[in-house]
Amino acid sequence: FMDFNDEVGGDLCCRFKRFDILFVVQTVFDKEQCIDILKKATEEVLGKQIYTQNLTGQWISNICEKCTKKLVALNKPFKYVVTCVIMQRNGAGLHTACSCFWDSANDGSCSYRLEDKSMYCIVTCFALAI
Amino acid sequence: KVERTDDKSYTIQPHFRKKFRPMQVEGIIQEALQEKLGKEKYNVDKAQKWTRELTEGIKTKLKDLNWDRYKYIVQVVIGEQRGEGIKMGTRSFWDSDTDNLAKATFSSDSMFAVAVVFGVYLY
Repeated sequence: FMDFNDEVGGDLCCRFKRFDILFVVQTVFDKEQCIDILKKATEEVLGKQIYTQNLTGQWISNICEKCTKKLVALNKPFKYVVTCVIMQRNGAGLHTACSCFWDSANDGSCSYRLEDKSMYCIVTCFALAI
Repeated sequence: KVERTDDKSYTIQPHFRKKFRPMQVEGIIQEALQEKLGKEKYNVDKAQKWTRELTEGIKTKLKDLNWDRYKYIVQVVIGEQRGEGIKMGTRSFWDSDTDNLAKATFSSDSMFAVAVVFGVYLY
């Protein structure tokens, strides 16, 4: 709305009251939210299961697909890559490392580890901004 | 290199010759794994060092390929060979025209290693 103000040198000076509406599009990777998604998906699929060689393939597909779907549903301008490793608990050692060449301001990764009596499960998610 | 005749044109696809080529990258990672781990025996402290060095090394080799506007993610998993069962899988949400992945495995008496490289194009 307009306020007519003739104080300034007799000229008609219109003062507009502006309401600036800022749309903040979150294009920075939200790690906490992502870890939450990975955690829920893993616990949903693996729950209290015992390691079974034949079922691992199925479990991994389910976990990865659930994670991807939930991440996409966040509607953010990111491309996602989700990897999952399930290993039988045998006393053997396992090491993972990853190195990325990306835009560190907007891209990010997070991982979630589930330790069971019979197995280990590591789920990693990489999000790359478009 | 794409020649631009119009100021308002934007490249939204990589040039055919500069696309992520899985076979080529597979060769690179296989070579890197063989070189680093071929003659070694599994050792807890060294394995941690190897994973880190492998990822850095592979990333450097990928940068040398000079593919424009590609982002790379290199993931290496090294484990002790004790007869345990292990499975690894991945799902991605990307543009299958421009993005791809390459993988290689290495195994010896004392250990196994898996290396995966994801190449994602930035528009």
